[in-house]
Amino acid sequence: MKRDLIGVSNSASGGLAFTRRAALAAAAAFALAAPAFAQDWPTGPVHVYVGFPAGSSPDLLARIITEPLSQKLGQPVVVENKPGAGGVIGVQQMLAAGPDGHAFGTTINGPLTTAGRLMPDLGYDVAKDIQPVALIATSPLVLAVAGDAEATDLAGFIELAKAEPGALSYGSVGQGSGAHLTAELFNEAAGIEMLHVPFTAYAEVTTSIIGREIDAGFMAPSAALPHVASGKLKMLGVTSAEPFAQIPDVPVIAGNAGMPADFQAELWNAFIAPAGTDPNVVARLNTEINAILADPEVQKKLLDMGWQAAGGTPEDLAKRITDDTRMWGAVIDKVGTAK
Amino acid sequence: MTAWEGLAHGFNVALQPDVLAYCLLGVTLGTFIGVLPGIGAMAAISLLLPITFYISPEAALVMLAGVYYGAQYGGAVASILLRLPGTPQSAVTTLDGYPMAQQGRAGVALFVSMVSSFAGSMLGIVVLVVLAGWLSEAATAFRSAEYAAMMVLGLVAASTIGSDRPAKAFAMVTLGLILGCVGTDVNSGAQRFTFGIPELMDGINLVALAMGLFGVAEVIGNIRNAERHAAPERVTFRQMMPSRDDLKRMPAATLRGTALGSFFGALPGTGSTLSSFLSYAVERRVARHPERFGKGAVEGVAGPEAANNAAAITAFVPTLTLGIPGDPIMALMLGALVIHGIQPGPEMLTARPDMFWGLVVSFGIGNLLLLILNLPLIGIWVSMLRIPFRYLYPAILIFVCLGVYSVRGSAFDIATVAVVGLCGYLLALARFSPALLLLGFVLGPLIETHLRRAMLISRGDPMVFLERPIACAFVIASVLLIGLSIFQNLRRR
Repeated sequence: MKRDLIGVSNSASGGLAFTRRAALAAAAAFALAAPAFAQDWPTGPVHVYVGFPAGSSPDLLARIITEPLSQKLGQPVVVENKPGAGGVIGVQQMLAAGPDGHAFGTTINGPLTTAGRLMPDLGYDVAKDIQPVALIATSPLVLAVAGDAEATDLAGFIELAKAEPGALSYGSVGQGSGAHLTAELFNEAAGIEMLHVPFTAYAEVTTSIIGREIDAGFMAPSAALPHVASGKLKMLGVTSAEPFAQIPDVPVIAGNAGMPADFQAELWNAFIAPAGTDPNVVARLNTEINAILADPEVQKKLLDMGWQAAGGTPEDLAKRITDDTRMWGAVIDKVGTAK
Repeated sequence: MTAWEGLAHGFNVALQPDVLAYCLLGVTLGTFIGVLPGIGAMAAISLLLPITFYISPEAALVMLAGVYYGAQYGGAVASILLRLPGTPQSAVTTLDGYPMAQQGRAGVALFVSMVSSFAGSMLGIVVLVVLAGWLSEAATAFRSAEYAAMMVLGLVAASTIGSDRPAKAFAMVTLGLILGCVGTDVNSGAQRFTFGIPELMDGINLVALAMGLFGVAEVIGNIRNAERHAAPERVTFRQMMPSRDDLKRMPAATLRGTALGSFFGALPGTGSTLSSFLSYAVERRVARHPERFGKGAVEGVAGPEAANNAAAITAFVPTLTLGIPGDPIMALMLGALVIHGIQPGPEMLTARPDMFWGLVVSFGIGNLLLLILNLPLIGIWVSMLRIPFRYLYPAILIFVCLGVYSVRGSAFDIATVAVVGLCGYLLALARFSPALLLLGFVLGPLIETHLRRAMLISRGDPMVFLERPIACAFVIASVLLIGLSIFQNLRRR
């Protein structure tokens, strides 16, 4: 699939007897086609499908990338908001538009990793239908508790949870959300038991923690930060391997308070294409996106919103998808979330 | 910073020429799209969002807010003249506004709605200024148990809207509750009645449902008698003068509506649609002659219009101080702030006083502009609706489709509008109240979520609804209301 163009030129020469000349001709044709192609593409506006509404965090992130991308490609890059089903509809709409080199998508990790386990019928097979382009950015989650909570650090919190199993509760942004699965991963690693209370938005979770209705929650740093400044929330730990630049003072959970050294959970956002998209287009996009992500100004914009610029090859992203699908799949098996 | 210093500071921001210009642009556009049935503030704000990248955050928010509350004014015009609600919030205004228009009192109905809207907004601003800090504290004191009990009271109170025929009212509320079940169950993640359709995973689209039930159904109903259906009369300033009787009935209803609207607007997640429904129910309850309602009662226009405008103002409290948007439009406003790197939260009042107070003052200026726009210039808005029906109705259907599509770019939602519109027409033929269906649809999922969350957190102990004083008071009030209804019905027989 990935090597469509080469596949086509191979089959075209396949019928001919193999001669050195034929092979050279085929190679020459291919060599000629490639630069001609790079000049032609894109031939019209490029559409980037986003599975979240205008103004939401995934939408704003997409726009940070699409604006410079439009300049680099010399064609308008239009963000198409197709919100619904946790971002899955955006991916479906991108696939419906087809691999003509003008339909792409940015998506959070859910629709590429856990959605297949949580939804009855996704309508697509990530391994077969999605062509990874580049990882855009990652974000850790922070463990937040009320500003006046008893626990002052991670060790204290775990101790409290162990003292009375099941007494503490945590909020998430829904069954199978990153916040839910991260907390379950944390529960298992720390050997504790907390009651899961699903909400639909981080703002509801923070309000509930501040009102002392629930005790804790894993959330995006930007969701907690405004309340940390006023002292109403405090952050006990962060789920990334290294301290996170937006909140450098918050200690990493990994290796702290008896937690395993490899404890890590990150949300991410990636640029994808429908499978069957021309590999040259994918390569060009990957180069441009990596260049955009290398710009310090873009990095700062992302960081202000709680995202750490990432980048890398399409293969890196494919590996990330496979690894995370396995990791979260194991957590879903354990908690037995309804399908 | 005291409120007075804040206001002085706010005038400095709001009276800057560019902010003032964006305010005028916002309210004019808001009135315009509010008057047009189908297309709502949601569509206009989505379209304006990209522009806000290029202007100051103060000007951006002032403009978007202007569209939002401007639409509340405009929404009433089509509700009164055509029985087509311009916005979901003004759906309830059709109940008495349209009968008034049929009695040749369209001008008075418009006057009452404009003045009540203005009074509601202005008092809402006072509530906002006085209580901003306190309200953001109080909102965190409201837990799931309080919310669940409050919503139950809301449902019980508002169910009396069509209580002439309790069985029909009950059927509609129940149908609304059932439709509200569609989607992903928040607690288990299970799919309910989604039939494998991803577009249904987040539930039936509220805008599609409201526009189908009220807008499309009304258009279908009018096709049959399009010739008989007279175009709205020209409305002159003189015709808008209310009678002494109207003036006597109005103020109390306006004040009650404002109080309700201010309260429910400030609570995160309830929004202005609910408060206009509740205000109507309350007016009906307190009226000495409740049978006048539905036949052109002035209170039925004044109360709900004051309520939805007051709620539109106080809805900014949870949005700005807690970061919890009361409805999808508020969520868009939050997005506009985040674009400019402003995280709404409790710090907003102290960290961005120019933003907060500038917005507050712009509310006042914007509402004054709206009153000026609407009272003398009402003829212009009305003339938009005097276009012959053979042009107006197809245009309205197009606007409905545009408006619904603008919410999340989904063709599925347009199909939903068509189906709901057809069903809505059949319901109207059988004299069922679509307002009650909408109410059940809005409140059902909220009650369920909060009820189950409260039970989850209390580890299954139902006493949580009686132990907490505020929740307990709501429960007692609900029980009393149900008892009263049963008693009244029995006595009538």
